[in-house]
Amino acid sequence: MKDDAIIRFDQVTMRYGPEDVVLDKVSFELQPGKFYTLLGPSGCGKTTILRLIAGFADPTEGTVYIGDVPMNGVPANKRRVNTVFQDYALFPHLNVFENVAFGLRIKKLKKDVIQAKVSEALRFVNLVGYENRKISEMSGGQRQRVAIARAIVNEPDVLLLDEPLSALDLKLRTEMQVELRELQRRLGITFVFVTHDQEEALAMSDEIYVLNKGRIQQSGTPIDIYDEPINRFVADFIGESNILEGKMIRDYRVEFGGSEFDCVDGGFLPNELVEIVIRPEDLEVVSPEEGKLKVRVESQLFRGVHYEIVGRDRSGNRWLVHSTRSVKVGDEIGLRFGPEAIHVMRFGETEEDFDRRLEAFAEVNHAK
Amino acid sequence: MNPAGKRSWSGLYLFVVFAILYAPILYLVVYSFNSGGTMHGYEGFTLEWYGEVFSDVRLLIIVLNTLVIALFSSAISTVLGVIGALAIYRVRRQQSRNALLSLNNVLIVSPDVVIGASFLILFTMIGLQLGFISVLVAHIAFSVPIVVLMVLPKLQEMNPSLLDAARDLGASGWGVLTKVVLPVIRPGIFAGFFMALTYSLDDFAVTFFVTGNGFSTLSVEIYSRARQGVSLSINALSTLLFLVTIALVIGYYLISLRNSRPAEGGQNR
Repeated sequence: MKDDAIIRFDQVTMRYGPEDVVLDKVSFELQPGKFYTLLGPSGCGKTTILRLIAGFADPTEGTVYIGDVPMNGVPANKRRVNTVFQDYALFPHLNVFENVAFGLRIKKLKKDVIQAKVSEALRFVNLVGYENRKISEMSGGQRQRVAIARAIVNEPDVLLLDEPLSALDLKLRTEMQVELRELQRRLGITFVFVTHDQEEALAMSDEIYVLNKGRIQQSGTPIDIYDEPINRFVADFIGESNILEGKMIRDYRVEFGGSEFDCVDGGFLPNELVEIVIRPEDLEVVSPEEGKLKVRVESQLFRGVHYEIVGRDRSGNRWLVHSTRSVKVGDEIGLRFGPEAIHVMRFGETEEDFDRRLEAFAEVNHAK
Repeated sequence: MNPAGKRSWSGLYLFVVFAILYAPILYLVVYSFNSGGTMHGYEGFTLEWYGEVFSDVRLLIIVLNTLVIALFSSAISTVLGVIGALAIYRVRRQQSRNALLSLNNVLIVSPDVVIGASFLILFTMIGLQLGFISVLVAHIAFSVPIVVLMVLPKLQEMNPSLLDAARDLGASGWGVLTKVVLPVIRPGIFAGFFMALTYSLDDFAVTFFVTGNGFSTLSVEIYSRARQGVSLSINALSTLLFLVTIALVIGYYLISLRNSRPAEGGQNR
């Protein structure tokens, strides 16, 4: 599998000053034909990764490969990748057709070929009939489509998208998420999508790279990352979660909030201090007697799909609960959850260690 | 006082100011049609002075000189000014960029007499004969900073990711310049050209210093004729010049009107 990577980062470091490290020895491989998302807060280095792939910047150390070819020093106009910019960067002096045709004209293709390709690209993004419009006459969503058409008409191996949906309103954004995902399937090329919006990342991606402070925190499918966050940062950044300190008594047995619970994690040292994650939607509101935990309700917000309930248990831990049942503020309620709802995280564990532990643990179980 | 009264006072003030500003020109224009031959008493309407202007071959040659100088100097200074603006735009450090821009602006605000005198000294030092070339060079010199000043804001307004986008789509450095940068800043280039044209057309001080025997421009010629004695053909000539200037201003206004329409793509939220 290693050889067919379409983009490979090998120990890439990016520094703007001795103290200003944007990327810190980042290594990863992207496979062709997949939808990747780089997810992280602003300043985490995700856009820098995109600029390194596009060729707008060169790494301070390390090598970026496209295919098998090292790309250091290769300018942007010599790379078979295209970018959809955050502000679209459409040329204001050209109409829609000429914007899309820009790359083809530079390649000096024949007129009828350009005509055919541009028409096809505009059909792909549902903009047939807009050829002669000025950019200033297009709405935000339409500009977005022009920008996408302008990039895909060049048939790049990789399409880079730099927070392209952030300027759109919620409804349009959701629509475009579906459309982008659909577009990627139809084109079959690799998409690298940069966003700080975790919902967007979960909804669209084959694989997500969660970044923070210039390092990759975790990578995996949306389900892996949501269900098995590797550390507090990932658990906190992806979705909402209750993160508590706890203690691993032994495999399958964890203590937190003053009680012991069954869980499905293992491979820890006896009595190792850990952090546990429980997603608010995995908590069921029941009567205090039925609950595994008793919580005093502090506030309740109606969110449309569910109520967002905040409560506090006897040891003072804060609990966030999503429930379709409404409760009364001040009441004591019980919380019920299954063993699989509890996810245990080791302090300071890297992604490799995490994978190794899971593998070793699975083997031990298998042997039994 | 009621708002309407306030408005009429401010309107009156504005009217008075403009009346005072335009009165001398109007006076000059009116007397260019005076058959009396002096600026003292208006006797009757005549086009005699205009006829005199158009039959004066020497004067027509000077008009031609002025136009040629203006067109050449503004064209050349537009090219140089655009290159200069691009160079200043490329300077990364804010401080150095501001310093360069200030040096540019000093040339615009410094007195014409100083520029003219220094050019005169320069030309006599290197032994350049005063005439067409010396005037042309001097006009280019004072026009370049004006063009820079008109073009640079357009460059700074330009969305820098347009440059990335062009490179991303395969454009070389030259392609980015000719296919994106120059078209986007074209309004600034035109404005700079027109400004340079008007500055060159009506320049007196610098030209007066660096012009030599047998070569003259309109403003210098009008000055020397006005010194010799009053002839209303000067009024006629000045009126014509005034009309040309008005035409240029209107042209400039129309161009800026066309460009004030939203030109920036991708900024709407």
